[in-house]
Amino acid sequence: MNGRPMRLGLGTGVLALMLAALYMVFVVVPTEADQGIVQRIFYFHVPCAWVAFVSFALVAVAGMLYLWLGDQVWDDLGYAAAEVGTIFCALVLITGSIWAKPIWGAWWTWDSRLTTTLILFLLYCGYLMLRAMAGDSEQGARFGAVVGIVAAIDVPIVIVSVRLWRTIHPAVLVTRQGGHGLEDPRMVATLLVALAAFTALFIWILCLRFVTLRMRTRLRALAGSLAMAELAAEP
Amino acid sequence: MIAAFAAVLRKDLMLEARGGQSTVALVALSLLVLVVLVFAFDPGGGAQGRAAAAGALWVALVFSGMLGATRAIAAEHENGCMRALLLSPLDRAALYAAKLAAAFIFMALAEAAAIVLMVLFFNLQFDARTLRVAPAVMLGALGFAALATLLAGISSRVRGGDLILPLLAVPMFVPALIAGVKASAMALGGAPLAELATWLKVLAAFDVAFVAAGYLLFEYVALEE
Repeated sequence: MNGRPMRLGLGTGVLALMLAALYMVFVVVPTEADQGIVQRIFYFHVPCAWVAFVSFALVAVAGMLYLWLGDQVWDDLGYAAAEVGTIFCALVLITGSIWAKPIWGAWWTWDSRLTTTLILFLLYCGYLMLRAMAGDSEQGARFGAVVGIVAAIDVPIVIVSVRLWRTIHPAVLVTRQGGHGLEDPRMVATLLVALAAFTALFIWILCLRFVTLRMRTRLRALAGSLAMAELAAEP
Repeated sequence: MIAAFAAVLRKDLMLEARGGQSTVALVALSLLVLVVLVFAFDPGGGAQGRAAAAGALWVALVFSGMLGATRAIAAEHENGCMRALLLSPLDRAALYAAKLAAAFIFMALAEAAAIVLMVLFFNLQFDARTLRVAPAVMLGALGFAALATLLAGISSRVRGGDLILPLLAVPMFVPALIAGVKASAMALGGAPLAELATWLKVLAAFDVAFVAAGYLLFEYVALEE
């Protein structure tokens, strides 16, 4: 396939960007005054969250395009995005917990952002379970598109209700993540490099999964026409 | 369209009236869930007991809703009824609306019974406060019926799909669950309806979104048997 050199180039670019991001995070950026060394996980946490949200939006858009146009290419894109997004969503929850333990004194709190992310993660775990069970079929693609769209409709309602739940509920923790401020310009620069690196990583992994799924689709079509040819050849 | 809707709904209601056990099963399941949660929480009186009662009521709603939706669609697949429905020149949206209406009616009956059982088991009083729980519960039942009818259409067509329904329906129902439990606990605590308005609005928004989504998307779910 002629996409191979492009993917190789992209992979090299991702490697360079990730190394640059690691260098920024561990060497360049100053240690945050209040939170100390743990705060550095922030530069991986936020890009993971960004990638997760982008991929879930992509699942819904690809689902709509699939139902509208009926082209398998949209389903392959949506499925790939759901897989990659779920992994990054898990990384958001894990890096967040590692940060929360020393800062908040607990691995987990029912803060509005945490709760919303967890529900998002559970929704897309359900999506992946469905795809695994529905198997490699046109029906599975259709069901995946419907669930992807319905999940995206659900997300704004989740955000509103969880936020209301949290503001009315007495606050367990006064400190919120909003206290970062990123006073030092090096912090902003590090965050931007990390965002670029994770976006590139996301595009690269998405491409790899997408190409694999495209091949699977072509294989299925070939197997179908082979079976037809065998049937026709029988006396 | 309206005629098709009415015909399917009348069929479901008639089936239920002539010895269908859906509503009975839903009430029995609600009863069991409430009993189990009384044992689990051992609730005392006061605000904590009321919060536990509200929570238990909504857990019962989720369980009975899941059972109801699965039953409503599974019954159609027995004896090839679904094939007949799909072969008929019936609008898929009308089919969805009828299935949703039937599921909502059964759930509403079960929830009415569950409210009574909750008052008995959690040592609350039958008064205006109990009545003020009803709007939230009915909105929740409509939302869950809308969601579960669409998803049951999917899970009934997938092998091992009965596992999929709770895995998809419960996280999607979370916003309504939060709003419903809050509104119910406040109502039991004596808050007037006006104070519940915020939560009822969230529930109403959930209902509108999921009834519309199900209505529009059901044709992609119910393409084949």
